Amino acid sequence: MNHADTIVVRVVAIEQVTPQIKHFTLAPAAGGNFPAFSGGSHIIVVMRGVNRIHRNPYSLMSSPGQLETYEVSVRRMEQSRGGSHFMHDQVQVGNELEIAHPVNLFPLDKIARKHLLIAGGIGITPFMAQLADLRTAGVPYELHYATRSPEHCAFGGLLSEREPGRVQKYYDCTGELIDFEGLLSNQPLGTHVYVCGPAPMIEKVVATARERGWPDSHIHWEQFSAPPVGDAFDVYLARSSLKVHVVPDQSLLESIEAAGVEVPYLCRGGVCGFCRTKVVEVDGTLVHNDHFLSDEEKASGKTIMPCVSRARCSKLVLDL
Amino acid sequence: MLITGIKSKPVYAPLQPDLRGRYHLMVGHGVGGEPLLRVLGDLQTAAPSSGAHTQILYVTDAAAADSITGQIRAAKVANVRLFERGDELLAAFQAVLAGSLMGTRLYVAGPESFMGLVMRIALQFNLNKDEIRAEECGTLARRVYCIHCCSATENVRTNITQCGCGRWLVVRDHYSRRLAAYMGVMVDAEAPGELPPVKEVFL
Amino acid sequence: MNVVFKPDETFRDDFTFRNSPEAIRRFPLPFPEDRYMYSVNIEEHLPGPPGSVIEFPIDIDEHYVAECRERALVLAEEPRRFQALPHMMSSQWDCLELIMESLARDYPQHFALERRGSRWVWTNRPLQIHQTFTFGDPATLPQEPLEYITRQAQGDWVVMDQREGDLWCEAGMVTTQADWSLDFDMGMSFKEWHGPVPLAHEMGVFDRALKFLLNLRLNEPVRRLNWTMTIHPRLDTSPENYYKWGPDRATVTPQNAGNKAHLRVELQGLWRLPRSNAIVFSIRAYLISMQELVTVPKWARRVHRVLRDLHPALVDYKGLSRYRDAVVEYLAPFDDGAPTSPGTAPE
Repeated sequence: MNHADTIVVRVVAIEQVTPQIKHFTLAPAAGGNFPAFSGGSHIIVVMRGVNRIHRNPYSLMSSPGQLETYEVSVRRMEQSRGGSHFMHDQVQVGNELEIAHPVNLFPLDKIARKHLLIAGGIGITPFMAQLADLRTAGVPYELHYATRSPEHCAFGGLLSEREPGRVQKYYDCTGELIDFEGLLSNQPLGTHVYVCGPAPMIEKVVATARERGWPDSHIHWEQFSAPPVGDAFDVYLARSSLKVHVVPDQSLLESIEAAGVEVPYLCRGGVCGFCRTKVVEVDGTLVHNDHFLSDEEKASGKTIMPCVSRARCSKLVLDL
Repeated sequence: MLITGIKSKPVYAPLQPDLRGRYHLMVGHGVGGEPLLRVLGDLQTAAPSSGAHTQILYVTDAAAADSITGQIRAAKVANVRLFERGDELLAAFQAVLAGSLMGTRLYVAGPESFMGLVMRIALQFNLNKDEIRAEECGTLARRVYCIHCCSATENVRTNITQCGCGRWLVVRDHYSRRLAAYMGVMVDAEAPGELPPVKEVFL
Repeated sequence: MNVVFKPDETFRDDFTFRNSPEAIRRFPLPFPEDRYMYSVNIEEHLPGPPGSVIEFPIDIDEHYVAECRERALVLAEEPRRFQALPHMMSSQWDCLELIMESLARDYPQHFALERRGSRWVWTNRPLQIHQTFTFGDPATLPQEPLEYITRQAQGDWVVMDQREGDLWCEAGMVTTQADWSLDFDMGMSFKEWHGPVPLAHEMGVFDRALKFLLNLRLNEPVRRLNWTMTIHPRLDTSPENYYKWGPDRATVTPQNAGNKAHLRVELQGLWRLPRSNAIVFSIRAYLISMQELVTVPKWARRVHRVLRDLHPALVDYKGLSRYRDAVVEYLAPFDDGAPTSPGTAPE
């Protein structure tokens, strides 16, 4: 299954919300409403550049109760492979883009007795939609939101207005840090913690929660990896009898797609495991960048997640 | 219709301390005291300071030796509470959970019919599989839910049992954690009056 | 498609349910071959040929009005046939939207849905219902949303919440089931719920099905067929009422099997729901008597062979032990041993 039925959208508003973050409001090009979704969902935005196609996942941050538009925010990545630069530099109001139907890999747990949300920087986006769900759910929740400074605190004002008493903001510039130890030591039974933000923050929250005795079934995180840049290499697709060259700033998945071979995917960010592919042969080492395969699976070298992982080799053969 | 070999039947394992837990709540009934003492000992050996974060709730029972009760009463933990009746323990257990924090691990030991009621309360507090450990000991007598009249019969020891509604039920291995009971289905529905031999099987 | 309803049919007492010749031709035979074993036979729920039961995502047929009345009769006696845990409310609205949108789009002569923001107006002409309500506000409907809409839909509906890498059976309307109880199975995980199914666990069927369903996507529903047999055209073969229908199984003879024994095929559809991220599982039962079935010679041959050679564990699980031989004897004269063409089409 692949995204045969993408939705064509028109960009109806662009707002620079922080020095690094642009906020895009999208409407269905054909008119009417978008499909409904649940808080935590992302969409894949398809950007048709001059030389290549970018497909990046962005969390939906508009309210699930409002479907005339979808909203996403995009942080300009310093080491962008092109997707965020395309959104920041190329996309204008009135342009058309394509998106895939929403997928939720970061849902709220519906029987939680309390939700503890922890956001860092652009990691606020999935929580914006989840908060809209939580406001009517009748279950206690709180959001802890860390950014560099008030200037970088996207949607800070909106959050304070919508969530009085439920949002705590922290600014690096004034030395305010989230007290993860304290926060995770004192939560009632049945609490779930959700974290989205930079990798060190996620690692810190997950490690602290485990250290404070939280079971994994109550710890949720989402981090889409952008496919890292690496060495060029050749991949041979055994079933399609194709040879594809992977350049340094293009992912394995993108390269395979550009050669006309479809690989099923959901997140394109190393999270869901959907694009997992069998490795037939490799004459070097696999560079696993995903959050899905276990360490043993990575070490075995039998499968790879082409959305974010690559190889350091002259020849990689995949079962595609 | 499958009677035995149904995957919803819970599987139990000997209690082991979960050292990733921060608080340890031990709940037992009668002969379940023995595994509780054992896991408590293992826990205190592995984590000598854990006693300050451990609580025990225990129903004394004629089936269990007095020495077990004595050892539980003397356990070096933050709190020990003994009860004479299961329902008293369940009420106290619910109150304890309401005041408990994330990081709590639940250890349950005793007859399945008792543990089922404990775990049904734990479910209401969203304790998941990775927060609960359970060891079955003592009677295998079952709590049986009559699918026809929607009432539960306690302490069923036989493969076939008569429900309060008058029907004879065959006890299936199909188990509901929400109802804390096995399913009982009328045994002679297809041929009224034809009852298979009644045998004591849940001893 | 213009459906002519048969509003007076019954599924109990005098059992006046019958299939028209058109209904027989569109019957979803679940046997593509002359033998049967479990498989993870899931496929995309794409539109099928005009007139087939899969032409539209949710099928309405000549039995619609009668089946809705039968459901109301069951609920009047046993309100617990509809249940929903409190956290399933958003999935209830999802289901209501799915069913109303599908029926209004595919059967505009019978149903209409007008949406003005959250104010919705629903018209169901066959059941003479005209309802204005506020989407998202349960107080504006006479029943909870899932109960309300499934009283107006054929087949059973079960909603599964997704969490902890599992699917949990936590809401549903179940009045036309093949011997399983929503009341008992509420709150169960996917494998607990399917616990009573023999062989399939060992074959890894549920591992694979669960893994597949956890990744089910919006807008890409899937379907499969399942089957059993029922004596009389009785929709409510619930464990709750086993004592009412169980005795029928002992009354089948080769002489009366043509009229009494029915093949019961479930068209199961699965949709990811948008607001709740839950999955709804629809289980739509189609019934056909053996004497209706043998009007299609290929089907008579095939069903004869499938039943004759069925694995003993499945004979027991499907409750056929007392009457399978009688049905096979009834069908035998219709099987001349000729090969059957592949696939399920009548010929």
